[in-house]
Amino acid sequence: MLLINESFFFALFEYSFLKYALLTGLIMGFVTPIIGSFVVIRRLSFIADTLSHFSLAGLSIGLFLINIMGFTFISDPLYLAMIFSVIGALFIEILRGYYQNYKEISMPIVMSLGTALSALFISLSGGFNSSIYNYLFGSILTVGDEYLIFIAITTAIVLGLLFIFYKEMVMISFDETYAKLLGIKIARFQFVSTIILAVIVSLSIATVGVLLVSSLMIIPVAAAMKVGKSFKNTIIIAIMFSETSIIGGLWLSYELDIASGATIVLLNLLILVLVGLFRRFYVRKRLKQTQLDIQGK
Amino acid sequence: MRVSVSNLTFGYDYRTVLKDISFVLKSGDFLAVIGNNGSGKSTLIKCILGINKITPNRIRLDDVDVVDYKNYKNIGYVPQKFDDFNYEFPITVNEILQVSKYTDFTEDQKLELLDKVGILELQHENINNLSGGQLQRVFIARSLMNDPKLLILDEPTVGVDRENVEGFYKTINELNKEGITIMLITHNIHESKANFTHVLSLHNGEAVFREVSGGDE
Repeated sequence: MLLINESFFFALFEYSFLKYALLTGLIMGFVTPIIGSFVVIRRLSFIADTLSHFSLAGLSIGLFLINIMGFTFISDPLYLAMIFSVIGALFIEILRGYYQNYKEISMPIVMSLGTALSALFISLSGGFNSSIYNYLFGSILTVGDEYLIFIAITTAIVLGLLFIFYKEMVMISFDETYAKLLGIKIARFQFVSTIILAVIVSLSIATVGVLLVSSLMIIPVAAAMKVGKSFKNTIIIAIMFSETSIIGGLWLSYELDIASGATIVLLNLLILVLVGLFRRFYVRKRLKQTQLDIQGK
Repeated sequence: MRVSVSNLTFGYDYRTVLKDISFVLKSGDFLAVIGNNGSGKSTLIKCILGINKITPNRIRLDDVDVVDYKNYKNIGYVPQKFDDFNYEFPITVNEILQVSKYTDFTEDQKLELLDKVGILELQHENINNLSGGQLQRVFIARSLMNDPKLLILDEPTVGVDRENVEGFYKTINELNKEGITIMLITHNIHESKANFTHVLSLHNGEAVFREVSGGDE
């Protein structure tokens, strides 16, 4: 806290770009651990990475269309990222059905296609430039009011869907066989949840960038599940971890003038390490106490 | 629930697992399904549960063909081990039961059920902290959440210690007395203290169905 000179907080009132960045961060910091929890339970952590790489194809095609072809009907390549993320999700679902017993094969296939398309269109758009850098590592400070509203509305829809289908989603995530027995339409839910994931992945790109999306989704959950006492409690803790790293990351990146996406993810990792140490210390202490109690009897 | 199986034959690819099996259970019957590993016990259960797709008119649940059966909430199922369940992520007993509830089962009914199964004090416990026997009871409670008319248990006492096994059969016998039809797959019929009314023994996919005299084996 020694670093505080309050300038970040004053700047928040002064510059709208900082306000937008913070609001975007807070929204994403809330929704990503919720979606991330379901992803972790279903052991699908790689999907987020695959989809974010596939979104990069959309971003680079968008850049190509806007910068080289001069198209003006897309204001921001981030919208194309979302469309591509959803297309990537559809590809994954199709391939998962095709390789029933080797479902994870779908990920490298879709990821390669996304990465290859990205490389192709990045080179066609004149090679590596600052916009590509921003998409790879995040550019929360460049989020405008239009995209912020888009993020808010989309997130609200996603959270609404989760609220309505909470029971089914939890049941399918924890025990697919039993969910099937209860008559839940597994394929339909799986399809919808992959689309939701694709949408959230593409929205996270603005916050931390293509390469760090999965960490925003997974790391707070990985930390929370080591200390959570129930499902809801774990999600709440994950949201707290995630919001802490987003607010802290934005503040630090502003004060120290360093990349915000990287700072957010590194703070997330720091929390993960601290939780690990806490558990180690706490569990050992408890074991020791139990041993003392037994010896005392 | 009445369960009737008539001339059921089922296999995977080129291997026939169940050969021409027929039997009928009335409401309140208690069937033991016995047989060696690979004799088709679990396959039969999966046919009844609609997980294995079979041809029409082979299995009827309360006079509805299993192929068209929609009301699976009427059937409680306790799987063999809980391999299908994703562990490690925290979730409490209460939370599991909450998401398994698909009828207007009240909070009081739930507490009564937890008490009957003997896990009332564990309701707020993270399932990752439970023992095998306790977990067993959680899954039995889950299978009873929707007031089933048929309860299917697949080797439910594997890995559960002797003391808990006895408690378990006591609970199952009580449920059966309340009129629930029960199908229990078991390795060792003599070890179980269940009040079977019928036994189906499977051997190489063929079945012998008989009634147990005196209601106890």
